[in-house]
Amino acid sequence: MAGSSKRRARHLVFLPYVAFLAIFLGWPGLYVFRSAFAKGTAERSPMIEAVTGQFRGSFVFSLQLSFISASIGAVIGALVAVAVVRLDTVRGLRSTVVGYSAVAANMGGIPLAFAFLAAFGMQGLATRLLREINVDIIGWGFRISDFWGIVLVYLYFQIPLMTLVLVPALDGLRRTWAEAAQSLGASSAQYWRLVALPILTPALLGGFLLLVANAFAAYATAFALSSGGSRLVPVQIRFFLQGDTITGKTNLGYALAAWMVIITALLVTGFQLLMRRAERWRR
Amino acid sequence: MNRNIEFRDVAKSFGSVKALVDFAIRVDEGELVTLLGPSGCGKSTALRVAAGFEVCDSGDVLIGGTSVVALPASKRGIGMVFQNYSLFPHLTVHENLEFGMKVRKMSRSQRTARVGELLDLVRLAGLAERYPHQISGGQQQRVALARALAIEPQVLLLDEPLSALDATVRVEVREEIRRIQRTSGIATVFVTHDQEEALAISDRICVMCDGQVEQIATPHVVYRSPATPFVARFVGKVNDLAVEITASSRVRLRGHAFEFSVPQSQVQSGEARLLIRPEDIRVTSSAGGEGLQGRVDGLQFGGATTSLDVAIAGTNHVVRVSDSTRAMQFGIGDVVSLVFDMERALLTRE
Amino acid sequence: MKISRIGAWLTLAIVATFYIVPMLAMTRFAFQRVPVIKLSWGNVFQKWTIQPIIDSFGSPDFQRAASLSIMLAIATALATIAVLLPTMTFAHLGSPRTRRLIEISAVLPFVVPAIALVVGFAGAFRDTLPILIRSSFGLVPLYVITALPFTHRTLENGLAALDIRTLVNASRSLGASWWRTIAFVIAPNMRASIATASFLAFTVVLGEFTIASLLLKNTLPLYLSYAQGSNPQGTFGLGIVLVVISTVFVAMSNRFGKKVRT
Repeated sequence: MAGSSKRRARHLVFLPYVAFLAIFLGWPGLYVFRSAFAKGTAERSPMIEAVTGQFRGSFVFSLQLSFISASIGAVIGALVAVAVVRLDTVRGLRSTVVGYSAVAANMGGIPLAFAFLAAFGMQGLATRLLREINVDIIGWGFRISDFWGIVLVYLYFQIPLMTLVLVPALDGLRRTWAEAAQSLGASSAQYWRLVALPILTPALLGGFLLLVANAFAAYATAFALSSGGSRLVPVQIRFFLQGDTITGKTNLGYALAAWMVIITALLVTGFQLLMRRAERWRR
Repeated sequence: MNRNIEFRDVAKSFGSVKALVDFAIRVDEGELVTLLGPSGCGKSTALRVAAGFEVCDSGDVLIGGTSVVALPASKRGIGMVFQNYSLFPHLTVHENLEFGMKVRKMSRSQRTARVGELLDLVRLAGLAERYPHQISGGQQQRVALARALAIEPQVLLLDEPLSALDATVRVEVREEIRRIQRTSGIATVFVTHDQEEALAISDRICVMCDGQVEQIATPHVVYRSPATPFVARFVGKVNDLAVEITASSRVRLRGHAFEFSVPQSQVQSGEARLLIRPEDIRVTSSAGGEGLQGRVDGLQFGGATTSLDVAIAGTNHVVRVSDSTRAMQFGIGDVVSLVFDMERALLTRE
Repeated sequence: MKISRIGAWLTLAIVATFYIVPMLAMTRFAFQRVPVIKLSWGNVFQKWTIQPIIDSFGSPDFQRAASLSIMLAIATALATIAVLLPTMTFAHLGSPRTRRLIEISAVLPFVVPAIALVVGFAGAFRDTLPILIRSSFGLVPLYVITALPFTHRTLENGLAALDIRTLVNASRSLGASWWRTIAFVIAPNMRASIATASFLAFTVVLGEFTIASLLLKNTLPLYLSYAQGSNPQGTFGLGIVLVVISTVFVAMSNRFGKKVRT
């Protein structure tokens, strides 16, 4: 029987946790936003300057990289998920693939960059092997440190992330729905178009958004690959705040960070809402 | 055109497991036939072969007189209701109902009119714009039934449609199903493991065990004249007593001196089992005299009927007897006399 | 419905190749003393040695970086459990709404990218609590937050499998304090989840680069980034070792995770 004082005492229990989050997540976040809106000696608010001025190109570059790696990663990741569910009867295959996906999706930036340099760099093993069959990717202008090189590296963790999102969603596709559609006269194509794809859409879309957020926030891999990577927003923030800080303009760095938080927040919220919809249908 | 379905010697195995052996039955227009049996008996397999989700190893299935085994499920003219997860979760009730019609490219006005009819048929008008997760389990199954009937199939197949529902809802929905089936007059194959359900709504029951047909008959006959010991044990309640056959028409309860006389010699001498239903045993309070003596050990009051567990003196046989409550005015510890109606009993080896 | 098995196997094979090639390349570069240009089918199996990685292990810079990372990992794991276990236990005793709030709060770190977090952290505490920025252990709270979404979910799975209310009531009615209850009644029943959460925390810390880099702390990933120039083969070898360790950790997490579910 909790009286109001007991209830208050009970809620006090969460104080350490809330305080922890407030101090180490909330306060830094607040600081970023406060600095991002502080004009200082500049004419315009740093938030506006960040997306219209010299950094506009960085945002465009970052978003392009994120969307493209997310698109390709989503498609391939979906195919892998479909393949794994199709081969459900093969013992151990699903747990191996899902298990390895969990590792690859969280693969730290530095070793990953190393691995791709070793494979697809100018002196890379794969580069060399491809040359043996007369495919000269270097001659085509492919550089691991440029846009498409980074996309390739990002795919390494984008694909498994999509697989991890989609496999449970595919599991949720009940066999009875396929059979019901058949009994009602639907062909295989009609089933996919009218039933399976609509049911999977929230997971597909949500997964895609998650991949975009994932790529957008990535820092270490791009940093380790340098040159091309340095045009990405996360890396620019670092150069900005650790290099020579032009007085009155430091807040621009914070504005970049604030925009990153806003964009990521929108994407992650979208992902959560879509996954909740997908969950509801699985009941 | 006869809207019926016929199975001819259908056989199906999964690996070394024989799911169906020489399965044959015909369900005519207007009939509701139940395939009844424990899990693994082959009833669902038979249904799925009829629907086209399994391919039989041998035999034939005819719908409306035409063989359908070579046809895919989408072209067989069947309507099917599943145990659960029948409805498409992303569509409203209205959209679920018109799915089959949309596939057949019926016009919007035709579809809407028919959806209205169907909702009236299952008495769920007003739920058209709800989503499946917003309606109850019983309502979902009624919508599933309506959806199956929307495309006017020749045959209706129901795969344990009530098994996932709560007990009270189950009774409601099964009466709905029976009402709708009678109204539409469609040949229906109903699969269940619940014998009470089968007895309540079927025109005929096909009792199955291990892929084989044990008996096909009306509920009354299946209950009162079970063809095999399996049917006797599976349908309704039955007492299962260990007995010995002493002479060609004398049967003795094991461990007791009392002997019954059996109408005709059903089984040769030796050990056997006597199967008799609780309501086929008469209880009187006369101690001594004719009948088997016993003491009332347990009592279950069931409203209109009452059951007694009677322990036979000197043995560990316990016999369950039931009758109308009015006739069973006994208490625990009372000494009673039991008279078995041997015309209704079944003697069997197993 | 009509997806062919062959197509499925083909897809997996192609994608698997994409995953193996970089790792193979990294391994080869690290352990084979043959430059790519001189590589031919003849000498593919020659000159393999683990010397470069032994050199790395011997380097004092590496040892400093590795020990720092390991200590940070242990500290992060302990801090995570210390903060989350009591909090989540109480959440399970409270209303579903409280539990939902905690769940949402655990997803917040996803919304703040590491770069934004560290930049805000440095700016916020530079003048007020510089010790947090100077000390290497100032990284621990940031790491706890980074790992929060994963560790929270793991512990949530473990708690959901138990009847917390009954356990707590029983323990408290026998006179145990809250601390003893959590430490000696709840925790032992959650050994698998706690172990899994710790492994996840370890994996996160051993791979984390962004925060350490901006705060100029010499952790293992940072060492890899710097030492690349001076000892490329050894560094790449360390990279492979890190990948293997992470894989083992996650595999063990999965194995423990399965045990929890039964």
